Amino acid sequence: MYRYDALDREFLTDRSNEFRHQVARRLSGELTEDQFKPLRLMNGLYLQLHAYMLRVAVPYGSLNARQVRRLAWIARTYDKGYGHMTTRQNIQFHWIKLRDVPDILDALAEVDLHAMQTSGNCIRNVTADPYAGATAEEVDDPRVWSEAIRQWSTLHPEFSYLPRKFKFAVTAAKTDRAAVKVHDVGLILHRAPDGALGFEVIVGGGQGRTPYVGPTIKQHLPASRLMSYLEAVLRVYNRHGRRDNIYKARIKILVAALGAEEFARQVEAEWAQIDSPSADLPDTELARIRAAFTPMAFETLPARSETFELAKGVSSSLARFARNNVKPHKQPGYAIVEVSLKAIGQTPGDATADQMDLIADLAERYSLDDVRVTHAQNLVLPHVKLDDLPAVHAALAQAGLATANIDLASDIIACPGLDYCALANARAIPIAQDIAAKFADPDHAERVGELKIKISGCINACGHHHVGHIGILGVDKKGEEFYQLSLGGSGAEDASLGKILGPALPADKVADAIDTLVEAYLKVRDGDERFLDTYRRVGLEPFKEAVYAHADQA
Amino acid sequence: MKALTANRLSDGDVVFWNAGQWVERFGDAQLFDDDQAEAAEAALAAGKAQPLAAVDVYLIDVAPVEGGLAPVSYRERIRALGPTNEPTHGKQAEGGAVVEALRHASGAARSTGRVDLIRRK
Ligand code: SF4
Repeated sequence: MYRYDALDREFLTDRSNEFRHQVARRLSGELTEDQFKPLRLMNGLYLQLHAYMLRVAVPYGSLNARQVRRLAWIARTYDKGYGHMTTRQNIQFHWIKLRDVPDILDALAEVDLHAMQTSGNCIRNVTADPYAGATAEEVDDPRVWSEAIRQWSTLHPEFSYLPRKFKFAVTAAKTDRAAVKVHDVGLILHRAPDGALGFEVIVGGGQGRTPYVGPTIKQHLPASRLMSYLEAVLRVYNRHGRRDNIYKARIKILVAALGAEEFARQVEAEWAQIDSPSADLPDTELARIRAAFTPMAFETLPARSETFELAKGVSSSLARFARNNVKPHKQPGYAIVEVSLKAIGQTPGDATADQMDLIADLAERYSLDDVRVTHAQNLVLPHVKLDDLPAVHAALAQAGLATANIDLASDIIACPGLDYCALANARAIPIAQDIAAKFADPDHAERVGELKIKISGCINACGHHHVGHIGILGVDKKGEEFYQLSLGGSGAEDASLGKILGPALPADKVADAIDTLVEAYLKVRDGDERFLDTYRRVGLEPFKEAVYAHADQA
Repeated sequence: MKALTANRLSDGDVVFWNAGQWVERFGDAQLFDDDQAEAAEAALAAGKAQPLAAVDVYLIDVAPVEGGLAPVSYRERIRALGPTNEPTHGKQAEGGAVVEALRHASGAARSTGRVDLIRRK
C-alpha cells in the first residue's frame, strides 16, 4: 500500500493540531457554532441524532493491519466498541464526543489515517475496486491512480469549495465493483488495441434525489493526461455548477442540462488551455506512487491446493464459504476472501472492535498485511493462500464473520437510517434485519442466487437504493415509516436505475413483500438466471401483481 | 404539549430543558402545556442563549401514550431512547417506565415532531 513519507506525516500532524485549536476555540466560545460547523465538517465530524459521528477516510478502501487495529482501539476507547463501514468504503463511528476528537485525529495520524474529504463540498475520498492488486481481471492497479487523485485533490485550493460534494470511483476491471457509473466521475482503466493504457471517463452519474447513470464523455483518455483532463472537468463544473440551488448543484445536473456531448466539448476546450507539463503527473511521481503498491511477496504455488480441496470435502460450511465468499486471485495458489459483515440479525456493515482486531491478525498472518473495505459494506482479505483458507475460515467462523452470503439476498446494503442519521425519514437497519431473516436458511439463499437489496433511509440514497436489484427507500408518510420498493437497478457494469414498483408499504410489510417478489421470480426464472435478468426479461408487471394482489388480501 | 431539546455541545448527547438547565432524560424534561406557548418560546430563547452548553435547540411536540408521555415523532422518540438496532446503546439502556412508554409509542416518523424543522445538509 501507499507509504507516507515525512512530508505526508508532517501535513497530517499539522492538520490535527489545527483542528485541536479549533475545537478548543469552539468549547471556549471564541468560535460560534455557525463558524465552527464548516470546520468540523472539513474533518469528517457530523452531529447526528445521539452524538457526533466521525467518518474516517479509508483511501480506496485499503487498510493495513496496524490501521485496522487502531480503528478497533478507537472503537473501544472512544465509541461503543464498534465501527460502521459505509458505501463509500469509509468507516464511521457513531458515538463520538467532540472533546475527544482531537485525540482521535492524533491517534489516526499516527497510523497515516485522517478524516479529511469525508464531508463537505470538496473532492471526497476516492473509492476503487476492492479487489485491486488481486484480481486477474484488471489491466493495471487502480490504487495507483486513486492515490494520485487523492494527493492531487487533498485540500486542492481550486476545488475545496465546489458547488457540491464530488465523488470519484476508479476500476481497472470489466466487472465493476466500484459503481463507477453512478459517481460524479467514474474512471475505467483499459488498454487500447495498441496496448496503450487509458481511461474511459464517465461523468455525471449519481444517486440521491435525481439519479443518473453517467454518460461516457471520453472513450480513451491517455493515462498520462489524467490529471489535466480531470482539472478541466472540475473547472467546467466549478464555473457552471448550480450554486444557487442545492438540489441542482451536483455535476450530474449540469451534464444532463448541457447534454453529454456539449459538456464533453466544453471540457475539451478547457483542457486545450491547460499546460500539460504543469498539470499532469510527472512520470517520476507516478513511478514513486506505483512503487508503493508493487511487488507483493507472492509465493510460487500450484494453482490447486490439496489441503483446501480435502478440507472442503469434509466441511460443508467451508464448501459453502468457498462457493460464495472466495474469489479467484491473479496469482496461482491464492484467493480473494470476502468477509461478510451481514450475519443474519446483524446491523449491515458493523464490525466490533474484537472483530476488527481479528481481521488485523488474519491480514497480517494470511493476507500480506492487506485489508479492504467494499462499497457493499463488507471486508476483504485480498491475498490468502488456498492452503490457508481452512484456517482463515475457521477463525472467521469463531468470530461470527464467516457468513457465506456475498451478493446473496441477505448481503444487504443499508445506510444507518433513522436509528442514527439526522437527515433520515425512516429506519433502514431493522428493515434489513427483517429481510435477512427471511433468507437465514443458507440453502434457500443460495437457491435464489445473486440478489442485491439496497436500503436508504431517505432520498440522499447513501444505501444505493436506486441501483439495488431490489431497492428500498424509506419515506415518511403522514408520520409513519413507509418504504418504497423499486426493481431492476444495478450499480455494476450493467448499471441501471430501478423502477418504482408501486405505492409505498408500511414497515411490517416490507420483508413479506421481498419474499413475495422472490417467489414470483422463482416461478418465472429461466434456468439459473439472476433476479435482475429475470426482471429485465419479464418487466415490472408480474412482480407488481404479486406484491399488490398479496397486499390487498392482507 | 411541548418539550425543548438539543444536543450537548461537548459530547453531542441528547438533552432536554428543565427550568434553565439541560438534563439528560426525557422523563426529566420540563413540559409546556398548549396554553403555555409563551413560556415554551421563552425557554427556547433561553436555551439558544447558552451556545456553549447545547446546539441545535428546538421545541418538540409531546403527547400522552399508554404508560406515560412520548414525543409525537418517531425521530424524537429514537433520540430520547437510542438506536432501535442496539437496545443497550443510548438512554434506553437505563430501562424503566418512561423508556417502556417511549418504546411502545407509535407513528409520526419524522416531520411532525420538530416544531421548526428546517432541512439542513
Ligand atoms: S440515505 Fe439518508 S438516512 Fe441514509 S445515511 Fe444517507 S442521509 Fe442518512
